[in-house]
Amino acid sequence: MAMLYAGPIQDLIDELARMPGIGPKSAQRVAFYLLQASTEDAKRLAHAIVEAKDKVRFCERCFNVSDQDLCEYCRSTRRDPTIICVVQDPPDIVAIERTREYQGLYHVLQGALSPIEGIGPEDLRVAELLKRLRTPEDGSPAVAEVIVATNPNIDGDATAMYLARLISPLGVLVTRLASGMPVGGDLEYADEVTLGRAIEGRRRLEG
Amino acid sequence: MRVDRLVLEDFRNYEREEIDLSGGLNLVVGRNAQGKTNLLEAVYCIGGFGSPRGPDATLVREGAERALVHADVTRGERTVHVDLEYRPGRGMRALLNGTAVPGVRALRELTAAVFFGPDELSLIKGSPDGRRRFLDELVVKLRPARDTIKREWDRVLKQRNALLRSAPRGGGPGRSARETLVVWDEAFCKTGAELAAARLEVLAALTPYAAKRYEEVAGGGRLELSYQASWMDGSTGADVESLREALAAALDEVRTRELERGVSLIGPQRDDVAVNLSSAGYQQSLLDARAYASQGDQRTCALALKLGEHDLLTDALGDHPILLLDDVFSELDPARRAWLADAIRGIGQSLVSSAEPGAIESAGAARIIRIEAGRAAAGEPGDG
Ligand SMILES: [Zn+2]
Repeated sequence: MAMLYAGPIQDLIDELARMPGIGPKSAQRVAFYLLQASTEDAKRLAHAIVEAKDKVRFCERCFNVSDQDLCEYCRSTRRDPTIICVVQDPPDIVAIERTREYQGLYHVLQGALSPIEGIGPEDLRVAELLKRLRTPEDGSPAVAEVIVATNPNIDGDATAMYLARLISPLGVLVTRLASGMPVGGDLEYADEVTLGRAIEGRRRLEG
Repeated sequence: MRVDRLVLEDFRNYEREEIDLSGGLNLVVGRNAQGKTNLLEAVYCIGGFGSPRGPDATLVREGAERALVHADVTRGERTVHVDLEYRPGRGMRALLNGTAVPGVRALRELTAAVFFGPDELSLIKGSPDGRRRFLDELVVKLRPARDTIKREWDRVLKQRNALLRSAPRGGGPGRSARETLVVWDEAFCKTGAELAAARLEVLAALTPYAAKRYEEVAGGGRLELSYQASWMDGSTGADVESLREALAAALDEVRTRELERGVSLIGPQRDDVAVNLSSAGYQQSLLDARAYASQGDQRTCALALKLGEHDLLTDALGDHPILLLDDVFSELDPARRAWLADAIRGIGQSLVSSAEPGAIESAGAARIIRIEAGRAAAGEPGDG
């Protein structure tokens, strides 16, 4: 039985409940926490959300979060442009950077294949990845290797297989992170040592 | 392995009750609907497989917010204090020696239990689903780390079915659906083969134990178990690679129909276990027990499967799993009662419930627990 509150409170609960990982009960808890917080606290939070939404956007090339047209990795001249590491979401980049094992560029798919949720290749940044592989930026060498670092679970594996089938015919080497990653896990939560080893020991993925 | 001490709080009809259990045979007696089955159920829950009787949410006593099960569990030299908490809508939370453990694997590594109740007849005469679940649970009881096989398979099956459902009807799927179907087919064959291989391995291990128990309880005759899969034939090997190839070949045959129907038509989700019997007098012809055996023979079969499971676990784990027999004796004829009473002697800890204590007098209980309206009173045999 769903409890209903007066207009604005219920609106707030409903908005919170739409966020990932927040169920109706958590939404209710957060909503009442916010109502009891000071007006300044509430305004600061609202401001932070609007500010982030206004100023943060996605990198035009790799779809990482960025405050400029290109993200810090795509702008950098010290990264190796012949390797692209494909991840599901921006936090995965943070996890990989923590290992300091990787010096190449990134590409964020913004999700993984999942027919249950109606997510197909056209909902991911797949076409943009293929374009990067087919037509390198002016003055950049061609991409030689794509490391598929989607999550080590069923959906991430299927996405990796799908990409391998598309990319291999282009003459680009496709590798997948080595095992040792916790099965069924999220890349974002893998510890640095495990993830570092997985990058070093990546294996070729047959398309 | 055994449960020495059990405290139930707001669990089914128990408000708060402490029960000391013997490491041998515990006879749980009382009239119907007093809480005998609930006690056995609580012990089964400690094994990490949820209730054998339905959704865990029903474990919470009416009007209470949560149900708690506390238990001292001994496995070999080690005693572990287990706390389980069930909250409707939040699932189960488990603590081992006061420390929260994620998931249920730690519980499954600690103990194993075998539950046999009046409904277990459906293991033989019910739908294939029950027999598949029996095998899949046994896979995990033997090797708790294998729980990922079934989980991954379930996910792949759901994803593939969603894709088949979403593919445009009639004219075949769009290009992107067809492109991704290839990768889901691959995942389907890989995880499906892993699941089938695990089931075949467990079934092969179980069969001699169950057959031996059947012969004993039926006083002769033969029980045969075999895996039935439309996508396998006599020449299919039991290793993962052979099974993967067989599944892939069968998928090629049905894919067009699958796209029309919008659902996976073959695979482990449709397989079954054939239970065949030959009675003592008719050694030649085997009878499909699922359809043709008498109720009595079906009960004997189910009992043989469960006792066989207990024997297999004993050998594989090097320790007796906890045996839970719920109201089984009243359903058996006197000869089988006597046999069962004898069979459960000296096989580790067991909890045996009955509404008629006379039915199992000869079982030689180490402890008698009388249950009335959610209260327990323990006594040594011969008391009161
Ligand atoms: Zn970028």
